[in-house]
Amino acid sequence: MRRDVFQAIADPTRREIINIIAQQSLNLNALAENFDVSRPAISRHIKILTECGLIVIRQKGRERYCEANLKPLGEVSYWIEQYRVFWTSKLDALESFLNKEMIFPDKRTPSKKLKRK
Amino acid sequence: MSNQPFVIERIFDAPVERVWKALTDKEQMKQWYFDLAEFKPEPGFEFSFEGGKDDRSYLHLCKITDVIPLKKLRYSWRYQGYDGISFVTFELFGEGSKTRLILTHEGLETFPYNNPDFAKENFAQGWSHIIGISLKEFLENTAVKK
Repeated sequence: MRRDVFQAIADPTRREIINIIAQQSLNLNALAENFDVSRPAISRHIKILTECGLIVIRQKGRERYCEANLKPLGEVSYWIEQYRVFWTSKLDALESFLNKEMIFPDKRTPSKKLKRK
Repeated sequence: MSNQPFVIERIFDAPVERVWKALTDKEQMKQWYFDLAEFKPEPGFEFSFEGGKDDRSYLHLCKITDVIPLKKLRYSWRYQGYDGISFVTFELFGEGSKTRLILTHEGLETFPYNNPDFAKENFAQGWSHIIGISLKEFLENTAVKK
């Protein structure tokens, strides 16, 4: 069974849960009030988030509080960062290609020599 | 409402027609993107290319899903031998003599599974400095739109 941070954030409800919990720790009832889906459904999401290490459950008196642990998200930002580097370099290349083409228009295709103002 | 894990936006000092050609003409793509055996901006057209970083290269498999000439090009993007599928969308918006390009790469979270390169140990390196810069941005980008 796959249990990692990528699975945790693959679901929009789970992303919302992380966003809410990241701002303040809440017990399950208070958390569930933010959603239209059923409480058991929220519990299932919490279970997955706990297994993925993004949420820690703490017992405070009679209540169980959900606390966010955002460290594993570093994996995701690193992963996405690689694509950011890739696409940034590609779009830089596209930009310089377009600029180069502007200075030396492709002779094989008809091009307007006059600059439009 | 699903979010977009990765979006990058640029404004090019070139009209939409030229940017579209650079995105869809095999000869032009070769000069900034990848050298493809063939490319046709038609839904269902499939293409592939080798790409990667450092010593590791992956065969990228792509299939065009949407084409709206001068406006939108979308294709699937996956890696041969690995699970997961993502989608790359190029959207063009003419702004006078300039063009705004919005590139969206969705589904990146489907990849890391099964790929040794994507395993957790490899994330450890560079993790600490990246979390400082990227986490805030990441969280803002993934905030569910209300």
